[in-house]
Order: sequence, then structure tokens, then C-alpha cells
Amino acid sequence: MLELQNVSKSFDNLRAVDGVSLTVPRGQIIGLIGPNGSGKSTLLSLIAGNQQPSGGRVLFDGHDITRHSADQVFNAGLVRSFQDPSLFFRMNVLDNALLPVKKQRGEQPSQAPLHRTWRAEEQKNATTASTVLDQVRLQTHHAKLAADLSGGQMKLLELGRSLMGAPKLLLLDEPTAGVAPALAYTIFEQIEHLRRTQNLTFLIIEHRLEILFDFVDSLYVMHLGKVIAQGSPDQIADDQTVREVYFGE
Amino acid sequence: MLFNIDLLATAIALLTFFGISALMALSLNLEYGIAGIPNFGQALFVSLGAYTAGWTYTRLLPLLAGNAAIPPCGSTLGQALQLRSVIMKTLPVVGLANFAITLVIAMVIGGIVGYLASYPALRLREEWYLGLVLLVGSEIVRIIVRGYAPLICGNNGLSGIAQPFHWIGNSTLSSLLFAVLVLTMAGLAYLYCERLVRSPYGRLLKAMRENDQVAASLGKNVARIRGQVMVIGSAIAALAGVFFVVNSGYASTNDYVVALTLDMWVMVVLGGLGNNRGALLGALLITLLDRATAITAIQLNTLGVNWEFNYVRYILFGIILLLMLRYRPQGLLPEPTQTTQAHEALQASSQ
Ligand SMILES: Nc1ncnc2c1ncn2[C@@H]1O[C@H](COP(=O)(O)OP(=O)(O)OP(=O)(O)O)[C@@H](O)[C@H]1O
Ligand SMILES: [Mg+2]
Repeated sequence: MLELQNVSKSFDNLRAVDGVSLTVPRGQIIGLIGPNGSGKSTLLSLIAGNQQPSGGRVLFDGHDITRHSADQVFNAGLVRSFQDPSLFFRMNVLDNALLPVKKQRGEQPSQAPLHRTWRAEEQKNATTASTVLDQVRLQTHHAKLAADLSGGQMKLLELGRSLMGAPKLLLLDEPTAGVAPALAYTIFEQIEHLRRTQNLTFLIIEHRLEILFDFVDSLYVMHLGKVIAQGSPDQIADDQTVREVYFGE
Repeated sequence: MLFNIDLLATAIALLTFFGISALMALSLNLEYGIAGIPNFGQALFVSLGAYTAGWTYTRLLPLLAGNAAIPPCGSTLGQALQLRSVIMKTLPVVGLANFAITLVIAMVIGGIVGYLASYPALRLREEWYLGLVLLVGSEIVRIIVRGYAPLICGNNGLSGIAQPFHWIGNSTLSSLLFAVLVLTMAGLAYLYCERLVRSPYGRLLKAMRENDQVAASLGKNVARIRGQVMVIGSAIAALAGVFFVVNSGYASTNDYVVALTLDMWVMVVLGGLGNNRGALLGALLITLLDRATAITAIQLNTLGVNWEFNYVRYILFGIILLLMLRYRPQGLLPEPTQTTQAHEALQASSQ
């Protein structure tokens, strides 16, 4: 479903992403791990159109989406989350969740002032958002400003917000950073559930391997901008180079 | 001595100025307060309304009245002025029609130029650069119009741009009707902006204001939306420009300097960025202050005091801006957090 061919990105002299090729098959959960600064987040930005690659190709659903802008990538069904909580902090939780909904009538400047034309639709979206917010344990926080959430709740809202964009494939950058262990596990159960029930596909960057390994179909390991290993969780856990660069053994 | 002011006329003038200022403040509040586009060139878009009026009053008005247009400047200046004032005095329907057409053309031109001005936003990553481009662009256009005589006679400006109720013999009544018209337009603009802001579109604009990168990653075409906002805001500003010039009766490039942009910024910052009611309040307070200093200046002059009290106004505005930014950056009326009614309904049903 998502295929990267030899994707690269340089910053001045630094090759942050160096000829990465990987494949994310439909309906799978793929993990992306590696030491700090190995280029994982940069790779995600290259896929999502936040940054443009210096070389290589990105294919999604058979279409070449290399150098597409961020909004085009989103509208193609590829939705990303950010490592640092990137909410609209001055808006409340519900507004954050409603923003990504596609093709809103009320977002057309010609219809927006005519509240009658979009009120029912907004109502429907709000109900959907409410359900999604329930799933990420934010049901009692609709009216709160996003800035007033705890760090973990922010990550949860970001996940919920991504789901509101009707994604086919989710690119998640450390979805459980700052989330308590029990809830982190629940988040992954939720991800697994979404994969099963809605056939969603995931590419997930995560440092909490003990949880990640329980859920992924396969893993890519990055180091200094390159993919140094790929395989099932068991294979990766046994891989000698991975043990050296990542676990420091 | 101090009481030789015609109170009624003063009140009407004040209301008219308030209505015009409100239009300006609403347009800047939409662009900067809501959408986060720092338009440092809003005077440009106001001036477009004034130049449009300059054009329609000298070219269109005679045609509507069945006369040939007379070149408004140079040797035929007096003749052209005479023709304008006769038409405005004797043919009310023609005057009103000309005025209505002026409003429409001004809004269209304002919208087009606003869209073109937003174009650098497609290229400029930092929206503050857009602000600077607009600041410089505003001055450049002003200097061009100053140098280009046929439009509003360049440096000399154009007089005799009478307001549409000029034909009514009673000047109090005609200025009262004009004030009502201005206030009605300002009221409509307020309702329009308020409904726009309290919709998913308003939510979208606020999201873009806060983090355009993330908004783009959630599927929003930031450049296009900025363009739309500039079209709407500039059209409202141009509308204000028509009322401004018709109210003073005189079109001059000297009125659309950076200081006018600064006035609008003070109104919006004082009233409360992102709050349409705040924009109205800011417009009201600044208009009052403006009139108060102007009247004081006149009174001082008649008393024989020989210094430019008008400059006190700029000092006051500067102080207000500094104090607000330091002690109450959210303004007198802070921005409301809710955007659409979906919340209210949802919250009501969940309680
Ligand atoms: N905009 C940028 N300009 C210059 N260097 C950058 C930029 N963005 C990232 N880098 C560098 O690229 C390298 C990869 O960064 P990246 O954020 O992709 O790492 P990461 O694998 O996500 O790390 P972490 O696990 O800590 O989040 C780092 O050395 C970083 O300093
Ligand atoms: Mg990272």
C-alpha cells in the first residue's frame, strides 16, 4: 500500500535519511524503530509531504506521491501524527477533533455564514467525534482547551484527531510517548482493533518496544539514516547489529 | 467659547466615523485577528475604495446622467466639478445608483487586489514577510496614484465627491441618513463576520493561525484559504474606503498612509484580537479619542494656542498600543473559545 524507493534527505552535510526503501502492506501494522536521531521522524515528514525528499520515490496506493504537498497527501488518505504534541492549543478538544473532517460544507466560505446549510452536518460530525474521543478516553474533556490537557492526553487527542481524517494509512510518531503503561497498552489494543475492524494500515514509530513488539507484523530498524534491519519482532530481537546499535549490548 | 459646537452635527459625524472605522477594524480583525495574516498594508485596500469612487464620480456619474465625462483635472477641473455637483444636487436617483455601483466595483477591485496580494503567501513561508510585502506595496501604490494624474488628479486630490443624500436640502438630515447607511453597512459586515467566524470556516482559520503546518497536514490548503480571507477582508476594507472618501467629499492619497493602517491595528488590539465585538469596541473608542483630540485641537487653535495638538493623538495611540501589549494582550474583549453551535448542542445533550 505504501512503498518507499531509495528515499533520501540531506540537511547541509548530514544525510538524515539515506536511501531508505520500505514497504507497508495493506492492513498491517509496521514498526519503525532506531536510536535517537536516526532519521525516523524525518522519514515520516518526507512521506507526509511536510518536507521534500532530495531523492527517491514514494508510492501510495499505486500512485506516485513524491513531492506532493502535505494537504494532498492527507487527502489521499495518508494521515500523520507528530512527535511533539501538535494540537491547536487555543481550541477546545472537540474543535481539534472536528478540524480534519474532510469536505465540510461549513468550511466553504460561501456556505459558512449560512449556518442552516451545515448545521446538521456539523452535528453529525460532532457525534462521530464524540465517539472517537470516547475511544481515546477523552470523553469528559470535550470543552477543555487542548492546552489544558496533560501530556499523555495530548497524545491521545492527536491520535483521535488523526482518526477523524478518515485515513487509509496512519503514520504515527511515538503515539504513546508520555502515556502511562496501562493506557499505552490500551492504545495499541485500539490500534489493533482499528486494523481488524476497519482494515486500517499503520506505520508506527515507537520507543516502547515491549509494547510495540506485541502488536506489529514486522519492523524496520533505522540507524544513521539507513535501514539496518528488517523482519518480524523475533528476528529483530535476535539481530546482532540491532542489539549493538539500539540496545547498546 | 468651548460650547460653540453643534452637538447634533458632532454626534452624527461621530457615528459616521464610527461606522467607517468599524468596517476597517472588522476587516483587519478577520485577516489578522482570526486568520493570523499580519496585514500591514490595510490602508491600501481602503484606498482602493476611495480611488474607485474617484473614478466613478468623474466618469460613470456623468454617463449615468446622460452627459459626456469631462476630464476631471487640469484646465477642465472647474467644469467637471461643477457637473458633478449639479448632478448630485438635482438627480438623486443617478447619485444613488452611482453610489451603489461604486460600492460594488470597490468590493470587486478590493477582492481582486486582495487575492493578488495574498499570492506571495504561496511563496513566502513566513507570514510576517507577507505583512512586510503589503506594507511596502501599500506605499508603492499610493506613490503611483500620486504620480498618475488622470485618476484623482495626482498630488492635488479630487474634491466634490458628494455623499448620496447630498440632494436633500437639509444638511443635518442628509448627513443623518448617510450615518444610518454607514451604520447599517457596518452592522451587516459585523453579522457577516460573526457568522463566518462561528462556523467550521472560522475554526479552520483559527487552526491555520495557530499552526499552518499542522493545518496543512490535516488536509487544508493554507495558501488558498489565505487567499480567500484576503479577498473577503479586502472587499470590506474597500467598502470602508468608499464611505470614507464620500464622507469627507475629497479623495487624496495623503489619507491612506501607514498611519491609517496603524489606526486600524490600534482598534483591533485595543478591542481584542479575534473578537468581532472587540473590533467594534476598539473602533468606537479610537473614533471617540480621534474626534476628541481633533475638537480639542480646533478649540485650542481658536483660543490662540499655537501648537499642533493633532500629534498628541499619535502619541496617545502609541501609548495605548504599548500598554495593551504589555498588560492586556488579549484586548478589552478577549476572543471566545467556542466556534460552532455543535458544541453547545453536544454539551447540552451529554449533560
Ligand atoms: N530541519 C532540520 N535541519 C537540520 N537537521 C535536522 C532537521 N531535522 C532533523 N535533523 C537532523 O536529522 C537527524 C534525524 O532526526 P529525526 O528527528 O528524524 O530523528 P528521530 O529518529 O526521529 O529521533 P528521535 O527518536 O529522537 O525522535 C538528526 O540528527 C537531526 O538533528
Ligand atoms: Mg523522532
